Amino acid sequence: MSEKLRESLSALMDDEANELELERVLSRIGDDQDLRSAWSRFNGARDALSGQPHGLSQLDISSQVSLALASEQGSEGSRWQRMMRPVASFAVAASVAATVVIGGQQLAQIGVGDDASRSVAAGVSAVGFVNSLGAMPVQASYGTRSAVPALRPATRTAYSELARQRMTRYSQEHAEHAALNTPQGLIPFARVPRITE
Amino acid sequence: MQHFFRTVGTLALLALGAAAQAIAAQSVVDAGCPAADAEALAWLDKMSRSSHEVDYRGVVTFQRGDDMQVMQIAHSVAGGSTSEQMTRLTGQGAQVERADHPLECLHPGHKLLQVGNNLQSGGCGIAQHYRFGVAEGERVAGRDAVRIMVEPRDMYRYGYVMELDRETALLLKTSTIGRGAKVLERFQFADLAYGQKDQSSAEVATVHRATHPNPGEAPAGQSVGLDWSPHWLPSGFTLTDAAAQGDRRRTYTDGLAAFSVFLEPLRGDIQPGEGMARQGSTTSYTRGMAVDGRPVLITVIGEVPVNTARMVADSVTQAR
Repeated sequence: MSEKLRESLSALMDDEANELELERVLSRIGDDQDLRSAWSRFNGARDALSGQPHGLSQLDISSQVSLALASEQGSEGSRWQRMMRPVASFAVAASVAATVVIGGQQLAQIGVGDDASRSVAAGVSAVGFVNSLGAMPVQASYGTRSAVPALRPATRTAYSELARQRMTRYSQEHAEHAALNTPQGLIPFARVPRITE
Repeated sequence: MQHFFRTVGTLALLALGAAAQAIAAQSVVDAGCPAADAEALAWLDKMSRSSHEVDYRGVVTFQRGDDMQVMQIAHSVAGGSTSEQMTRLTGQGAQVERADHPLECLHPGHKLLQVGNNLQSGGCGIAQHYRFGVAEGERVAGRDAVRIMVEPRDMYRYGYVMELDRETALLLKTSTIGRGAKVLERFQFADLAYGQKDQSSAEVATVHRATHPNPGEAPAGQSVGLDWSPHWLPSGFTLTDAAAQGDRRRTYTDGLAAFSVFLEPLRGDIQPGEGMARQGSTTSYTRGMAVDGRPVLITVIGEVPVNTARMVADSVTQAR
């Protein structure tokens, strides 16, 4: 892990990271073991310092998502097993990204049983504004321009990262079905970044 | 874009008189669907059938922005079933193959294109969702082509310009058209031969045997522990295969485009939000939200505009 990354990570922990530093960490955390372990060490240290038994590490979605992944891999779907393995690191990166954002910037004041966290988790406000976007369809037309809601920059970066990683992760399974149900035969597989067995 | 379609549409009208294609759907279209272009629909129908029933092999290029891939395609029919291969000739040495696909096995997307039957049952079929036009095509891979212009009637799908082999109706070239007449993606045959055996010498490291879900049968998979479903779909999209309760994926098609919806349950809370990534005509839209009070990640991936993906994701709730 470079000195620069360590600084970025530290800044993240102190809620002082700017968008550039956040992106730097997000883009590296998937394939940098050192960075991941530093992240969890820092997290643990901060919880210990703040003396919170239900500290931020409890909200470490990364381990939970990788647990979910592990149980998925343990199932009988052997094709899935093979398919998931190369992307498992992506999934971890994505969920760590989400944790970075939540842990670093949002959840400091959210404790267990806090009512505020429940309403945030229920996503009520978010659904509200997305609906309001859906109500202006004519202007949007079919195509590329779309109003992106003004989210906090850090959240937006993390979610763009999630969308990118999910594209990699799901494109082959989508292509399987597109190939049978659109006119181009097997050509939808050309959209898969890396075909796996 | 509209102007473009109108101009070519006029040409198509001129060409319509001259073209003497056998149009089974003609009278039905006149009766029930005045807006439908019967000639275009007849071509689409024929295209869908020929993609299964014709022996061919060739080299196809696939372009998205500055990126171009080249691949080899082979398709053969023997003893009532088809087998096909796609081999990447550039980049990753990978091959996708599907063998022993029964000829009579017709998936929902192709049923939507084989409009002859569809129109007789009273609907306008795919013509409800797209406007079609026919024009003189260009030469593609040395074959004379007929051009089918496909313009969406709503904002939930992309447009297409397709070139079909005048003789066999095989799809030789497709451009996917986004907002502002922008070409998002294009594939076309560079070389094509009919009725020849595949003699590929490409080196391949990965072979993926494409799965074949039975359209009427729910796939067996691990349940996400939540019975969910999108409650809004753009009109004309139907499920491609029966989804089991708690299945983490649903795929939908309108015959020309397809998108899939994936649900991942999270065991911890997540800050609600959304993000998207685009690659050519493919959109990936991910949204953190709660379904039935449980935090989940919804991802919509497919060849549809981001607005469509967002509205589908937004409509996901517990199945009722």
